[in-house]
Amino acid sequence: MNAGTKFRPLWQIVRGWRGGGVRTRLRRYLHTVAMFRLQGSKVLAVDMTGDAVKAKNGSMVAYDGQMAFKKLTGGGEGLRGMVTRRLTGEQMTVMEVRGQGTCWFADRASEINLVRLQGEKLFVESSNLLATDGGLRTGTTFTGLRGASQGNGLFTTTVEGHGQAAILSDGPAVVLRVAPQYPLIVDPGAYVAHQGNVRQSFQSGVTFRTLLGEGGGEAFQIRFEGDGLVYVQPSERNTIAGDV
Amino acid sequence: MTLREINSKMVEATVVPGQRLFSQRGAMLAYKGEVSFTPNIQGGQGGLMSMIGRRVAGEATPLMTVEGSGTVFFGHGGHHVQVINLSGDTLYVEADRLLAFEGTLQQGTMFMGSQGGVMGMVRGQVTGQGLFTTTLKGHGAVAVMAHGGVFEVPITPQRPVHVDPQAYVAHHGDVRNKLSTALGWRDMVGRGSGEAFQLELSGNGAVYVQASEEKL
Amino acid sequence: MSGYGTAGPVVHDPMSLPVDDNVNSYTFCVELKGSQWFLQKGKMIAYYGTIEFNGVGHGRLDRLVRTSFHSPLHASDWVVAEGSGKMLLADRAFDVNSYDLDDGNLTIRSGNLLAFQPSLALKQSIVPGFLTLIGTGKFVAASNGPVVFMEPPIRVDPQALVGWADCPSPCHHYDHGYMTGVMGGLRAMTGLGGASGEEHQFEFVGAGTVLLQSTETLMAEQATGVVPHEPGVPGGAGVSGSHGPQAGAPRLPGQLGDLQRRFGL
Repeated sequence: MNAGTKFRPLWQIVRGWRGGGVRTRLRRYLHTVAMFRLQGSKVLAVDMTGDAVKAKNGSMVAYDGQMAFKKLTGGGEGLRGMVTRRLTGEQMTVMEVRGQGTCWFADRASEINLVRLQGEKLFVESSNLLATDGGLRTGTTFTGLRGASQGNGLFTTTVEGHGQAAILSDGPAVVLRVAPQYPLIVDPGAYVAHQGNVRQSFQSGVTFRTLLGEGGGEAFQIRFEGDGLVYVQPSERNTIAGDV
Repeated sequence: MTLREINSKMVEATVVPGQRLFSQRGAMLAYKGEVSFTPNIQGGQGGLMSMIGRRVAGEATPLMTVEGSGTVFFGHGGHHVQVINLSGDTLYVEADRLLAFEGTLQQGTMFMGSQGGVMGMVRGQVTGQGLFTTTLKGHGAVAVMAHGGVFEVPITPQRPVHVDPQAYVAHHGDVRNKLSTALGWRDMVGRGSGEAFQLELSGNGAVYVQASEEKL
Repeated sequence: MSGYGTAGPVVHDPMSLPVDDNVNSYTFCVELKGSQWFLQKGKMIAYYGTIEFNGVGHGRLDRLVRTSFHSPLHASDWVVAEGSGKMLLADRAFDVNSYDLDDGNLTIRSGNLLAFQPSLALKQSIVPGFLTLIGTGKFVAASNGPVVFMEPPIRVDPQALVGWADCPSPCHHYDHGYMTGVMGGLRAMTGLGGASGEEHQFEFVGAGTVLLQSTETLMAEQATGVVPHEPGVPGGAGVSGSHGPQAGAPRLPGQLGDLQRRFGL
C-alpha cells in the first residue's frame, strides 16, 4: 500500500536523479533537508538537521536527539494570517519543531499520506494537515459551500510552494485524477484534499428519493471538474448534507 | 512459536497440555479444540503478595488462564496487536495493554518510583497507570495492544529517546526512565497538564510507541 | 508525483480503477455498465461517470426489489445504484472485501453488509441480526480487521462472528466450568464482568466456512426488520409475551438479548 515509503539516504536520491530540472530541486533540498518518511502507514518520521517543520499541535509521539517546540498562532502567517483565522473561525493550531534528530508524528491512528508539491497549490481541511516542511507556505482560502456542508466553516487551508506535506485521512486516502473528460463526484464526508486546477461545484438533491418519502431526504455531493487530483478517504465524517 | 500474528488485529495461540497461557478476559475471539478459560483473581503467579501488589497498584485488569489443547484466537476492541518475543530480558508494559502472554513468563508489578525516583512516581501518574507497571520476564511471547499499531525505537546510550506518555506502549532492556520536557513543549501544551512532560528513556533497549496520543 | 524513485501515491483514474475489486484494503470499486447494485446508504464515497441513486422503495424499482430484496422493513437503509461508471465504496475505514457466491448462501451480520448484486437474494436469517444472501453473484462486506476464514468445528465469541457460508449449524455453547466456579457464582450473582467473558460462544459444526473478525468495536447494528409475530419465530416479539421488548437493560453488543434469557441465562 505504501510502496514508496522507504527511507533512502540522500546519496541514493542524488544517484537516482538524472532528469532535467533535477539539479535545481536538489540544491533546494540540500538547504531544507527535513526528510519526511512514513514508518508504517500511521507514523510520520522526520529526519532533521537543524531545520524546522510545522506540524499539528501536540502530534509529536516521540523523538531522539534535540528538539525544540514553538507554538505558532494563526498558522504562522503573522498578524494578517491571525486576523484571517480569527475571522474565518478556522482552528488550526500549529507548532514549529526545530532540531537535530528524528521526530515522530502521529494523530489518533489516522492514516498519513505524503504529498510532494512542486509549485502547485494543495487545498486541505485544516484538521487533516499533519505537517509541512520548510519549503511550503500555508494559508486560508474560501471554499464555499462544501465547507458549510461539513460544518468545518467556509474556509480551507492551502499549502503551496516546493516541498513535502503530510495529510491525514481516516483509512488510506485514494488519490483520484480529475480530467476534462472525466469529472469526479465525491461525498462531502469522504473528501480530504485536492490539488491542481480544479473547479468544485455542489451537486444537491441528486436522485435520492423514496416513494414513501422516508429516510435520508436529500443527498449532496461535490463535483470536481478540470485538471488535478482529489484525495478521498474510505470513511465518511458526519455531514449535515445527508448521504448516499 | 506459541503466539503468532495472523493479521494486524488478531493473534493465534497454540495451546498444548501442560503449557498455559494468560490472556485478558474477554479477548478470546474463537477457539478450536478442547480449551478451558478460567478467570484469574490474583493475576497469574506470585501468590498473595502479588495479589496485594495488584490491589495497591490498581492494576485490576482481569486476566484468565487458558489451558488445554487446541488453537485460540485473540483480539480486543479492534486494536492493533503486536507480538513481542522475550529472550531473557524484562518487558515493562501497562497491564491493560496486555492481550495475551505465555505462562513461562514471570509476571510482576513494578513500582516505577523505585526506578526513576520522584520523577518515576510522577511518571505513573502521567501515564494514568498509578505508580505501577506490569513486568514480564523470561523466555516467551507477549501480545501487546495499541491504538493504531506500534513502532519500535531503539534506545542506545548515545541516543536517549523521548516519548509522549500518552503514546508510550512498552519498553524492554536495560533502560532508565525519567520525565523531561522539551524546550518550548510546556508553553505549547500548557503547564500543569500531564502532557507537559515526555518520558525520557536512556540506556540500552527499545521502546514501543503507538501511532496515537490516545490511551487505550 | 513520481518523486525520486520512491514513488508517490498511486493516482487512479476511471481507466486504472479495478473492476469490481479492491482499490486497497479499505476501498472497493464497483463498475456499472447499465447494471444495478444494492448499497447500504452512506457507503459510496466517490464515483466517475453517470450513476443514479434511488432509495429502495422508489416505484420504478419495484420489480427489482421484489426479486432480490426480501427484508422490506429496513428498505429505507438501502439505495439502488444504476448507470455506467465506476464508484468507490467504503465504511468508516473498516476492511472491506468482496465475496463471490456461486449458487451458494452466506449469512452475515447485518451491519457488515455494504453492497450486493441484484442477482443475489437478500433475506433475513432466522438468527436475529443476521441476513442471508442466496444465489449467484458478488457482495461487499466490511469487517474490523481482515476477515479470517475458519472451518468448523469451532467456537466463536459472538462479537467476533462476521458470518458463515454454506450450512454449518450455528448453536450456543455455554462453558459450565466457567459459570459454576466461585468466581462464576459471584459473576452470576453480581452480573459483573460477564458481558464479554468466555462463558458463552457460538458453536459451529458441520460443513461450511465461518468468518471471523477482530472486534468489540462492532459495526453499528442495522435493523434487519421485524419478523412476524408468530409462535415459533425466534426474535418475534410476540413470543416473549408479557416481557415486552426488554426495555430497561441495554442489549450488549453481540448478545442475543431475550433469546439468551430464554435459553436459561
